[in-house]
Amino acid sequence: MRRQRWLEFKRPIPRRATVALGVAVWVIFFALWEFAVAQAWVNAKFMPPPHVVVGTLYEMLAGGAFVVDIGISIYRIFLSFALACLIAVPLGILMGSFRRVEAFFNPLVSAWRYLPAPSFIPLLLMWFGTGDTQKIALLFIGVLWFLITIIMDHVKAVRAELIETSMTLGGSRWQILRTVVVPAAMPNIVVAMRQMLAVSWTYLVIAEIVAATTGIGAVMMRAKRFLHVDQIMASIIVIGLLGLLFDYLFRLTHRRMFRYLDERER
Amino acid sequence: MRGAVASRPQTGAKLSVSHVSKSFDTSSGDVIDAVVDVSFDVAENELCALLGPSGCGKSTVLRMVAGLEEPTDGSLMLDGQEIVGPGGDRGMIFQTYTSFDWLTVQQNVEYGMRLNGVPKGERKARADHYIELVQLEKFRNAFPSQLSGGMKQRVAIARTLANNPAILLMDEPFGALDAETRWTMQELLMIIMESLRPTVLMVTHDIEEAIFLADRILFMTRHPGRIREDLETRFKSGQRIPDKEAVTGLEGYADLERHIMHMMREESPNRERRA
Ligand SMILES: Nc1ncnc2c1ncn2[C@@H]1O[C@H](COP(=O)(O)OP(=O)(O)OP(=O)(O)O)[C@@H](O)[C@H]1O
Ligand SMILES: [Mg+2]
Repeated sequence: MRRQRWLEFKRPIPRRATVALGVAVWVIFFALWEFAVAQAWVNAKFMPPPHVVVGTLYEMLAGGAFVVDIGISIYRIFLSFALACLIAVPLGILMGSFRRVEAFFNPLVSAWRYLPAPSFIPLLLMWFGTGDTQKIALLFIGVLWFLITIIMDHVKAVRAELIETSMTLGGSRWQILRTVVVPAAMPNIVVAMRQMLAVSWTYLVIAEIVAATTGIGAVMMRAKRFLHVDQIMASIIVIGLLGLLFDYLFRLTHRRMFRYLDERER
Repeated sequence: MRGAVASRPQTGAKLSVSHVSKSFDTSSGDVIDAVVDVSFDVAENELCALLGPSGCGKSTVLRMVAGLEEPTDGSLMLDGQEIVGPGGDRGMIFQTYTSFDWLTVQQNVEYGMRLNGVPKGERKARADHYIELVQLEKFRNAFPSQLSGGMKQRVAIARTLANNPAILLMDEPFGALDAETRWTMQELLMIIMESLRPTVLMVTHDIEEAIFLADRILFMTRHPGRIREDLETRFKSGQRIPDKEAVTGLEGYADLERHIMHMMREESPNRERRA
């Protein structure tokens, strides 16, 4: 029998090994960090060890005020993302379906895509002040244009034969839109939403760091002023975990909505 | 059904294509004459095959009948009515699979009837009938991702027939299937020709398929596409034989096949190079 070596090209490994290795990398990472601080290789003030960060995170959550800030951040993400989808989904579908609609909107949409959303922060601050509206507006323009374009492309990719099949079965334009184009593009539209929601989190942090009194980003900026590095790190962990959570929820929704898809297409 | 035969009635023209031409404007500014001055009729319950080398304009003719493409010149009539756009009276089956992934087999077959407002009870009954006809009873509630290529084409055939079209249009419907499945599907089509008596216009580049299935073969030339010969498969003496070996064994089969092969070779783009 052939010798079992530890590393083999493209050889699948047992599921338990995958999990064990995945856990191991984190354990080693945190152990090294702890060790580095304990040996005073780094200054504990600027680089508190993991157990301190976890302790701080627990205290912050138990204190309640941080939970409110997390809630505010999630609210901003949700509202801005819902508004963006409300416009991008129907517009993207129409632009992907009809050349005339594309020819009209696309010059505007693609121009906006090249304008970095954060460059509008000074303007938005002047117009809306430092409140929720300004944050939501930034998140909205940060996501909207890309979402429209991606949805349009997915709709364009719907095979012509599917549309023509419906035409030769007597489908009207509206019926075809509703019964062929939308269901055919929907799995990819949901994937596009999932990806853009992740982008939304990036803009949220930018918006809240620049000028805010509430939200996770504001908590971090306040902590910086008092050199509470542990609080900054705890906040970063929360942002990461929330991003992961929402991504997971979207994946789950996708799986539930599109059970008919082949396992390979998921 | 082996050996079952029936004679074919000759009534007036169901589909009438007269002096139809089609040119395409390409993005480079050139004009391609895809089809030039094509005329032919298809009679009720006739299975007519458009045969010819690749790129000769077969699909273009079929798409004009479907109303998916507009003729540059000439006119197309179905049941005495000018064809002006796509409609449910001309159901089309494509070479690529067109089953709707998000609908079950049953829902796929009911799809056209749903578009046209057929009441639920009738829709269900008709779908059941056609699902049985294409032998997919066991897969009624399956989604297309669970079906083989041949089964997906069965779904497409049932879906189109259930919509009760005046003419059935097929563009190389079995072209993507493996040999054995294709053969089974061809025999199924022969059975359908006898039980439902539809009128069929079918595109193929497979000589054997055309001879086995068609009552009439329209052989097209390449660039521009014209009809070179209008051949009746007279050696079958007006019968439809849902058994491929039986047809290939008939006297006259070999002659017709040889004749078409010869034309195919003459139209081959490689011919000039070899000469
Ligand atoms: N939409 C189009 N725009 C430009 N040219 C086209 C278009 N559709 C077809 N053609 C051209 O018209 C000619 C006939 O095409 P068609 O698809 O009808 O041929 P075909 O006989 O069906 O070929 P195949 O056996 O390969 O399917 C070809 O030269 C093709 O390039
Ligand atoms: Mg073709």
